[in-house]
Amino acid sequence: MLTEREVLATLEMLRSENLDVRTVTLGVSLFDCASEDPGRFIERVRAKITRLAGNLVEVCDEVGLGYGIPIVNKRISVSPIAVAAGGCAAGQMCAIAEGLDDIARALRCDFLGGFSALVEKGFTSGDRALIEAIPEALARTGRICSSINVASTAAGINMDAVALMGRTIRRAAELTADRDGIGCAKLVVFANIPQDVPFMAGAYLGVGEPDAVINVGVSGPGVIRKAIDRARAANPSLDLGGLSETIKRTAFKVTRVGELIGRRVAARLGVPFGVVDLSLAPTPTPGDSVGEIFQSLGLASIGSPGSTAVLALLNDAVKKGGIFASSHVGGLSGAFIPVSEDLSIAAAARGGQLTIEKLEAMTSVCSVGLDMVAIPGDTPAETIAGIIADEMAIGVINGKSTAARLIPVPGKKAGDRVSFGGLLGDATIMPVPGDGGSAGFIALGGRIPAPVHSFKN
Amino acid sequence: MNKTVVFVLGPDRTGIIAAVSQVLFEQGCNLEDVNQTSLQSQFVGIFIASLNGRAREEDLLRALRERLAPLGLFVHLRPVDPADERPTTPCEPYVITTIGPDRPGLVAGVTGLLASHGVNITNLKAVTRSDREHQEYVMYYEVDIPTDTDRQVFRAALRERARELGLDVNLQHREIFEQVHRI
Repeated sequence: MLTEREVLATLEMLRSENLDVRTVTLGVSLFDCASEDPGRFIERVRAKITRLAGNLVEVCDEVGLGYGIPIVNKRISVSPIAVAAGGCAAGQMCAIAEGLDDIARALRCDFLGGFSALVEKGFTSGDRALIEAIPEALARTGRICSSINVASTAAGINMDAVALMGRTIRRAAELTADRDGIGCAKLVVFANIPQDVPFMAGAYLGVGEPDAVINVGVSGPGVIRKAIDRARAANPSLDLGGLSETIKRTAFKVTRVGELIGRRVAARLGVPFGVVDLSLAPTPTPGDSVGEIFQSLGLASIGSPGSTAVLALLNDAVKKGGIFASSHVGGLSGAFIPVSEDLSIAAAARGGQLTIEKLEAMTSVCSVGLDMVAIPGDTPAETIAGIIADEMAIGVINGKSTAARLIPVPGKKAGDRVSFGGLLGDATIMPVPGDGGSAGFIALGGRIPAPVHSFKN
Repeated sequence: MNKTVVFVLGPDRTGIIAAVSQVLFEQGCNLEDVNQTSLQSQFVGIFIASLNGRAREEDLLRALRERLAPLGLFVHLRPVDPADERPTTPCEPYVITTIGPDRPGLVAGVTGLLASHGVNITNLKAVTRSDREHQEYVMYYEVDIPTDTDRQVFRAALRERARELGLDVNLQHREIFEQVHRI
């Protein structure tokens, strides 16, 4: 018999706190689809993904309905295309992206991730071809996401790749100038990219992963915020130790939901269950905000002094609760701070309380990085590369994943508004300091060596 | 060995279970199962007792009445018939919650629909919740839904009945409640 508290608390999480499973992502290995002929490759890919994911959306909807928990996004991640289609030239890579987009559309999947390359130590010809194809591929497709890993704690930072990605981001923005550079919203540059991320734009299926696997991304910033508010109302003298405990307990509940639903979907599809990524992923829906948690913890706004400490506490408490709730946690696992996708963070950026420098500081303790940050369209490629290099250094030195998803919005300047629509939200263009003074550094190229503490063998 | 069900009903007070179990012991009965609850000020208890060879139901009923009548409690006995055992149908446990303003006929309206779809209620509880702005009446039904019931049809019928009754309704697999709150 259930207790009254068990029923009512669960009901409340669903009715007014936006509890959902943010994404169920089916990872599919494409290595057995390899072919010298891109057309043959994509047909093999189509056959395999359709076989494995043909009823992904239906199964997710049924399982979600059965538990009363919506599964918001159904996605596919694939092996890095730079490896799986390593023999292709840039034009062929672009055709492959279009083929993958067509497959995702046919299966009604929101996004397909894995138009990706891992280049932290250097480039293969496939890597170069894929990166060259990215701007065109993202302009021509709607559902394809691309990630490039340019750094790792073990390998250091490939500064040639960082410079190349600065130029690639600029080009991707230019080719989608009619849509405010939205191509860049589907492109992320990583350090220490996890192999099992279910969230976009960084989702891809790593080479050490099984043939097919279900990874789940949970969310629930609204649930966490309401739990904090309730705890503070019940005990006004509750301190940060007590609030950390509240967050931890709530993260446990949210993660259990993701684990249960992920396992049921995996069982129905007949593929193994991989991990729960226990991230707090906001959306532009009111009440589904990570930024509001900062206000519940006493700050006037995200960006106020104290924000890095709050984020450190939040990220740690979420991880602790989640790790207890699931035997297999992975992906990014922490709090996301995507500027345009979170009403409160977007408002702080608009109001000037949150700057790109403060965001960068905060990314040293959060689980992703500079995410969905709109910057002036005329920001030089070298400056973008400089921002990426800083972000990669934070990840490499701290032994964690960091990323940069920057959108230089063509024709717009700092303070202008931009709307990407849907889950990508609205943003105010953030000013970028430095006045283009990074070019000399970026031009040096080469590889920044791995830090001394990476040598653990 | 014969079994009997003992029903006890009346105003709640301290010592009812102790009194019933003492009489059962004195009458040579073995208490096999017991469940009790109280709603507002009213107690109801169900006891299943097995009677050994020399114990008689008439004696047991008389003894229980003698002990419980002064406490204002009503007692009823009913022999357990082996035919009472229902054939087990494969089922899955769900929880239905309804939310809305209280008015006569809500429970009858919902439970009538459940019965017509072969859905068995295992627990039912009403909770009144209020906040600063308004009061709402929440009922939750723990139910067993036969696995061969068409969930889509049942869900649609439940939604339609809830709409007629002016209620918000949720139908969720019970597992989610256990997973979220229990280790």
